[in-house]
Amino acid sequence: MNSQKLTSLNRYFFDQDTMKSFTAFLMNKAKVVAPHKKGEKSFIFKETVNPDEIILSYTRTLHPLKKFFLPPVETLLEFDLEKNEVMSPEIPIEDRFFLGVHSYDMKAILLLDYSFKKGNPEANYLKRRERSVFIGVSYQPDEYHFASDLGIDPYDVSGFSLFLEPVEKGYLIFEVDEIGKRLLQEFDAGLPLNSPLELEIPEHKPRIKMHHNRLPQIFEHVYHSKVWKEVAQKCLGCGTCNLLCATCYCFDVIDEVNLDMKTGKRERRWDGCMLNPFAEVAGGENFRPTLDSRTRHRLYRKFKYQTDQTGELHCVGCGRCSKYCPASIAMIDIVNQLIEDYNKQQQAVSLV
Amino acid sequence: METLTVEAKELYIPVLATIDQVEQLTATEKRFHIVMPEGHEFEHQPGQFVEVSIFGFGEAPISISSSPTRRPGFELTVRRTGRLTEKMHQLQAGSLIGIRGPFGHGFEIQKFEGKDVLFVAGGIGLAPLKSLIEYTLDNRQDFNRVIILYGTKNPSEILYPKEIEEWQQRDDVEFHMTVDRADATWKGNVGVITTLIPPIKLDIENTIAAIVGPPVMYKFVVMALKGKRLPDANMYLSLERRMKCGVGKCGHCQINHSYVCQDGPVYHYPVLKELEEAL
Repeated sequence: MNSQKLTSLNRYFFDQDTMKSFTAFLMNKAKVVAPHKKGEKSFIFKETVNPDEIILSYTRTLHPLKKFFLPPVETLLEFDLEKNEVMSPEIPIEDRFFLGVHSYDMKAILLLDYSFKKGNPEANYLKRRERSVFIGVSYQPDEYHFASDLGIDPYDVSGFSLFLEPVEKGYLIFEVDEIGKRLLQEFDAGLPLNSPLELEIPEHKPRIKMHHNRLPQIFEHVYHSKVWKEVAQKCLGCGTCNLLCATCYCFDVIDEVNLDMKTGKRERRWDGCMLNPFAEVAGGENFRPTLDSRTRHRLYRKFKYQTDQTGELHCVGCGRCSKYCPASIAMIDIVNQLIEDYNKQQQAVSLV
Repeated sequence: METLTVEAKELYIPVLATIDQVEQLTATEKRFHIVMPEGHEFEHQPGQFVEVSIFGFGEAPISISSSPTRRPGFELTVRRTGRLTEKMHQLQAGSLIGIRGPFGHGFEIQKFEGKDVLFVAGGIGLAPLKSLIEYTLDNRQDFNRVIILYGTKNPSEILYPKEIEEWQQRDDVEFHMTVDRADATWKGNVGVITTLIPPIKLDIENTIAAIVGPPVMYKFVVMALKGKRLPDANMYLSLERRMKCGVGKCGHCQINHSYVCQDGPVYHYPVLKELEEAL
C-alpha cells in the first residue's frame, strides 16, 4: 500500500483558513489550476481566480489534465502565402501549480511524459510541462474508478510535490519532494506534526478479476477474442473515450487559411483511433475499418503496445471513458470479459 | 518506468525548399526535383520519406524517389490524388514548398550488398524503389545480379520511360515488365505482376527482394516468392500509411505496436508478418 509511504513524510495540519491562505500564497507566485464546479454535477480543472471556488472534494473532473500540456487545438505554425514566410508561435515556459490532483491523473501525466519524450522529444509538450508543480489530494473512489485495481491507489504520491488528506476541520499536508518542502518553508507552515499518523483507509474491493501485473499477459492471448465484436455491437464509434482518456494523445494536423486568403495557420487537434477515418490512407483505403478492430486497438494501446516498452499499464483507471460513454460501455467490463475468455481458453487447453 | 532526460526538439517546423525542376510523367504523376536552402544538410537512405508542406493545404508523407548518390537535391514522384497533391501539381519550377525529414527506416543496404537483388514494383511503388535501384546501379560492383520486375495497370501509367530504357539497355540489369491491360501500342507482357515471377531463375539463398506496391499486391507477390522458396528473411517490403507527424507521435500510421514512420516504412518481412494489421 502506498499509504505506508505517507507515514515517512513530514506532515503539517492546515485548517480551512490556512488552506485558503496557502492557495492565495500559491496564486501570488504563479497560475493555480484546480478543480472547480461545472454545472450541477460535473467538475473541471481550470485556472483559479478565487480560492473559494476550488472544490477539493470531487469524484473526477470531466477532462483529465492533458489539455494543459497538449491543448485540444494548438497552432503549430503560422504562414504568409504571399511573403512565403513560416513562423512558429512561442510556447511560454511558465510556472504553474496544479492543486487538488488525484493520483491516477498524476500517473497519466507521468505516462504522457514518456510518450512525448521517447524517440523524438517534443518541445511543444515538454515546454508546457517543464515548470509544473503538482499538489495531490486523496479521494473516495466511486463506481467508475478502478485505479486501485491497476495498482494506483488514492494515496500514491509519485509525481507530487505536496499531498493533501482531508481531515476534520482541515487538511493534513504532506511534504513529498524538495519543491514541496521549499514551498512550505516559504509559506511558514511551522513545525511538522510528530504524532504517529493515523489514516482511515477504506478497504479496496477488487473489481478486475486478475492482478494488474498479469493483464499484459492476457493481451497476448485475446487478439482474436469474440469480445471485440460484442463490444463493437454496442459502440457508437463517437470517440468520446479517446477524447476524455487521460493518456490518449493522438492528433490530427490541419491547415486553415484566413479570410484574407494570404495568411493562415497549421493546427493540431485531438484525434481518436475510435473514429472511422483515423487509419485511412491517401488512396482511400482504411486499415482499421471496423469498430471491433478499432476497439481492440484502443485497448491494446492501454494494456499491451506501450506497456511492452514502459512496463506500465497505460490505463490509469480514472473511469472517464466508462462514465461518459453514451453506450454505457465500461472498461472494467471489457477487461473482465477478456479475462473470462482467456480463462476459458486456458481450460480448453488443459482439457486437451 | 525509466525517467528520460532529454533535450526537447522543435519537430513540426518545415524548411522552405525550392522546386527546381518539374516533369510530367503520366496523366496523374509528376516528378519534382527539390533543393534545400543553403546550410541545410539533407542526407537520406533509399526507402525514407519526407513530409511535404503546401501551406494552406496541409502536409503529406511522400517517399523520396532518387538515390542519395545523385545529389545535390532529391526527387519526389507525386500522384495527383487529393487536395494537397492537386495543388502541388500546379506548382512550377522556382516554387517553394515546406520539407520536414527525411523520416523513417529505409532499406538496409548492407543486407543487399554482395547479393542478387530482386526488385518487385507495382504501379507507383516504383517511385520509392527507384531510389534503391539507382543506388544499386551507382554502386554496381557491390551487388551481384540486379533483377527488376515492374507492373502497371496499363501502358499509359509507366512511370519513368527514360530510366526504364536505360535499364533495358544495360546488360548488367535484368528488366522485365508487364501491364494488366494492354493497348494497341503495347507489345510486351500482359498480366499481373506475379506472372513475371515464375519464369525468373533465382539463387534463393543469395537473393534479397525489395517489394513495393499497392496494398493489394503484397500478399500475392509474397506468395509467389514463397512459391519459389525464397526465405522470408530475404524479403523487404515498404508500407503505405498516413504518417501525419513523421516523428512517432500522432498515432495515425500505427499498425499494432509499430509506428510506420519510425520502424518503417520499410519492414523486414519476418517482422512484418507478426503485425496482423500490416497487410
